[in-house]
Amino acid sequence: MLSTALIGLREGLEASIIVVILVAFLVKTERRDALKWVWAGVASALVLSVAVGAALTYGTSTLTFRAQEAVGGFGSILAVALVTGMVLWMRTAARTMSGQLKGSLGDALVVGSKAVVLMSFLAVAREGLETALFFFSAVQSAGGGTAEPLLGFSIGIAVSVALGTGLYRGAVRIDLGKFFSVTGVLLIVVAAGILAYGVHDLQEAAILPGLNTLAFDVSGAVPPGSWYGTLLKGFFNFSPASTVLEVCVWVTYIVVVLALFLRPARRPTAATNAAATAAAHS
Amino acid sequence: MRRPTPALTLLAAAPLVLAGCTSKEAATRADGSGPITVTASDTTCAVSATTAAAGTLTFIVNNTGSATTEFYLYATGNRVMGEVENIAPGVERRLIVEVPDSGTYTTACKPGMVGDGIRAGFTVTGPTKG
Repeated sequence: MLSTALIGLREGLEASIIVVILVAFLVKTERRDALKWVWAGVASALVLSVAVGAALTYGTSTLTFRAQEAVGGFGSILAVALVTGMVLWMRTAARTMSGQLKGSLGDALVVGSKAVVLMSFLAVAREGLETALFFFSAVQSAGGGTAEPLLGFSIGIAVSVALGTGLYRGAVRIDLGKFFSVTGVLLIVVAAGILAYGVHDLQEAAILPGLNTLAFDVSGAVPPGSWYGTLLKGFFNFSPASTVLEVCVWVTYIVVVLALFLRPARRPTAATNAAATAAAHS
Repeated sequence: MRRPTPALTLLAAAPLVLAGCTSKEAATRADGSGPITVTASDTTCAVSATTAAAGTLTFIVNNTGSATTEFYLYATGNRVMGEVENIAPGVERRLIVEVPDSGTYTTACKPGMVGDGIRAGFTVTGPTKG
């Protein structure tokens, strides 16, 4: 029971962190009307994952290992690309905040509604198929006599939703001036983990090399089946046995994007504001 | 920020997904053998066959243990041919993997999702490496 609950918790957290930050961001910038785009992305990802999962479980088609890993790998990397765009946009937003009306944030966001849909879609869909396949295998064993896996999985998902709600409450309480830098740094760390995870998926699919060249293996100290291993994996995609390529990609992403995000801002002037607004619209 | 719509992304992803789709009918194979069953506990990894003809192999992995497990099929040099994760206790999951070449492979169950796992040899016969 506990082990299935932990699987539900981990998959639930992996899907919800980015969505939670996105929602907090929209609420903080007084764009509650754009929340419908988030839910549209989440809902379409859920429907697609469950539909494909059901078709593969009960239908006559099935997905090979390489195809499934490729979906997870490329989905993760695409999600990171979008999150990176959002982080760098947030930096611009944070800089314009002081000198400019909040209305400009709204303008940028109207244009960005498709980006909002796509980001929340990818955040859920990238691991949605694996989660749906696991869900249906739990349903099948419930049909075969034991409901424990299904019950455990549901508890795990419920706990992940509770943790996500807690994170949201904490995030919206942050003062607006600090909000962009705090959530921006958090997003960078989360995105780096997703990127490393995507690289690992592509290594497993043999699209990228180096699967067996481990940089470190701390799975003795942080067992992936433990509750703390689950939380580290769920929040930051931390893998206790990481390959050299994963670590290189993780470090490079953090260093480059954090440097871009934290590079000193010039004092906002009319010219930079105009440039920033143009950048947000492009 | 102009981005492709989700619909476009789905269109782009569809061929990728379809390309990986294989028919389950292939589970009953030319040589008459069906899916290979794997019974995985916390200490054992019982594979119902140690040999199979090259082609699409289906493993049905049943976890009778108390820890979440994973099942792997490795080629020489620990190259992953296929892997199925998140096999919770009491759960049965399927691994479908293309093995076009004959040769010596290794099966492994990894109770607790750590280490090298409980390994055994697995021989694939049929078309020679070309």
